[in-house]
Amino acid sequence: MEIVVCVKPVPDAETRLRATSDGTRLDPEGVKFVLAGYDESAVEQALLLKESIAGSRVHVVAFGPAPRTEEVLRATIALGADQATWVDSGADAGAEPVRAARAIAGAIASAPHDLVLCGKQANDDESGLVPAALGELLRVPEFSCVVDLRWDSATSRFRFQRPIETGVESWSAPAPLVVGLQQAWNDPRTAKLPAILKSRKAAIGKVAAASASSESRVVAERFELPPPRTGAKLIEYKTPEDAAQQLVRILREEAKVFP
Amino acid sequence: MTPNALVVGELHDGHLAASTLEVIGVARALAGGAVAGLVLGAGAKAAASEFGRFGVPEAYALDDPHLDAAPAGARAAPVAATAREVGASLLLTASTTAGRDLLGRLAVAWDAAVATGVTEATAFEGGVRVRRPVFGGRATETIRLEGSRVAIATRPHAFAAVAESPVPCVVHEVPAPVLSEAYTAPQRTGVAVTARGAGPSLTDASIVVSGGRGVRAPENFRLVEELAASLGAAVGASRAVTDAGWRPTSFQVGQTGRAVSPQLYIAVGISGAIQHIVGMVSSRVIVAINSDASAPIFRVADYGIVGDLFQIVPALTAEVRRVRGA
Ligand SMILES: Cc1cc2nc3c(=O)[nH]c(=O)nc-3n(C[C@H](O)[C@H](O)[C@H](O)COP(=O)(O)OP(=O)(O)OC[C@H]3O[C@@H](n4cnc5c(N)ncnc54)[C@H](O)[C@@H]3O)c2cc1C
Ligand SMILES: Nc1ncnc2c1ncn2[C@@H]1O[C@H](COP(=O)(O)O)[C@@H](O)[C@H]1O
Repeated sequence: MEIVVCVKPVPDAETRLRATSDGTRLDPEGVKFVLAGYDESAVEQALLLKESIAGSRVHVVAFGPAPRTEEVLRATIALGADQATWVDSGADAGAEPVRAARAIAGAIASAPHDLVLCGKQANDDESGLVPAALGELLRVPEFSCVVDLRWDSATSRFRFQRPIETGVESWSAPAPLVVGLQQAWNDPRTAKLPAILKSRKAAIGKVAAASASSESRVVAERFELPPPRTGAKLIEYKTPEDAAQQLVRILREEAKVFP
Repeated sequence: MTPNALVVGELHDGHLAASTLEVIGVARALAGGAVAGLVLGAGAKAAASEFGRFGVPEAYALDDPHLDAAPAGARAAPVAATAREVGASLLLTASTTAGRDLLGRLAVAWDAAVATGVTEATAFEGGVRVRRPVFGGRATETIRLEGSRVAIATRPHAFAAVAESPVPCVVHEVPAPVLSEAYTAPQRTGVAVTARGAGPSLTDASIVVSGGRGVRAPENFRLVEELAASLGAAVGASRAVTDAGWRPTSFQVGQTGRAVSPQLYIAVGISGAIQHIVGMVSSRVIVAINSDASAPIFRVADYGIVGDLFQIVPALTAEVRRVRGA
């Protein structure tokens, strides 16, 4: 099975976010970029499927600028990916999701893909648009919020579940398929040191992003950080009843969250 | 930009969903021209006329039960065709799982500038300016969606539901799409309605009360449930609770569970691991109850009670019942 995994370099969860001096976007200066959280799960799921289906290959694709995109791809090679393709976004930070989807589709449309695995959403923009846009561009059905993704070799179909707002759906579908993964079977593995060292020399295919042909545009205007959360206002109390009364009063009168 | 707007509604028990009423309000505020509604799936025709109750004089219905069990992509072509028919320059839907899938498809199928998770929107000459939380609520971005086709998905609870203002509503039927084999081959083999208490569902609720490992045993979880019931809230849980099997995974809030953004989130006996925080930090008001004053949850909470949940939570339930006269 040919498995393509789309991964996006995003700021590490511990990073302190800052806006650029013109205030329009995130300032990437000094930010450590890592695999997005759901993408880590997507890579893990791809490796698990590869291990369970003979003759499978994992091809990881990322759209973004140097050097972070290449670094993130190397990290997936250290984890066990067979091939990596960097779709260069040039000066554009590569963050706009639909542009990313168009660039990725351009790079993988002619490469074999029985399964295109994405994270359900990227930790930075949290748009959840790329899997569906990729499905439309590749003319393949796409499913978001997928868990428990299995390949049933007897019927040659994928089987999976989707916990959505109304309940949990079960599905079966043949390849090819685009998936926005919510959770892998396991928590993501970590790479071993020899593999990390070896990945530094691995070849990474580089392709230019196809130029966008759409007349619609998305323009970043402002990136704002809320005033830092100063931490909770702690209620001082004598008895549990006293604490309860104070909290209920605050919630009704100060925070106005219930009548 | 032609000023018409199309609202793609969702159905809930055969009626327009609460989130759709919020979308209608946004559409009426943004559209310079007419607003039309569209619903798809089983029961769409009956539900479409409900748009009239909320001041929308024209609605489209694609009443085809097959769509409910088809991949999301099957909806893209009929939605784009309806948008063209009403001359819409703006399309709106709720930022639910289905809404986000639809927008990703329409970005391509309708060649639109799109944004999901929108919490504020204003029209300007040439497009729509939106604000949306990013980085799990740690930042907010303002972006301009430019062009003659813009589609936005509004975050549930971020906007008030539109008030009733009944007008007569004409319902047009939309022909069922002819699906290629790629879209008929996937089969929905089962639907298990989410196991939940008597209260509202986790993602719809305006108040969520979640319990963590601090409750110590599955039978103690009833303390969390009673507090939730007194508030008319939904019940959530940390992964420690769902992994232990104390409650089903459908209760899990966080990175690998559900993301919620209610008006009020109460975390009981939850430490506040980053994977939990990302699923609830965009709640409007956060309250934490934890015996450990150094628990990270107090850093994201607005109000905190440092104390033993086994004493605090029953007292809180009693107090809520008292003030509500129940
Ligand atoms: C890939 C990955 C994905 C994950 N996804 C999620 C996710 O989606 N959601 C999620 O929640 N977690 C997730 N986790 C797990 C997360 O890292 C934490 O392990 C988990 O959230 C901890 O749950 P907890 O806060 O209930 O338990 P703990 O961290 O054990 O905290 C229990 C808290 O209860 C308090 N307490 C104990 N007794 C009392 C008492 N009597 N009164 C009051 N307070 C008391 C303690 O002080 C403590 O702070 C994920 C982890 C990984 C690696
Ligand atoms: N620039 C990118 N390069 C590669 N994959 C991406 C990129 N942007 C988004 N994706 C994939 O699409 C998923 C959803 O992203 P988003 O739609 O931006 O929330 C991510 O988890 C990735 O799997």
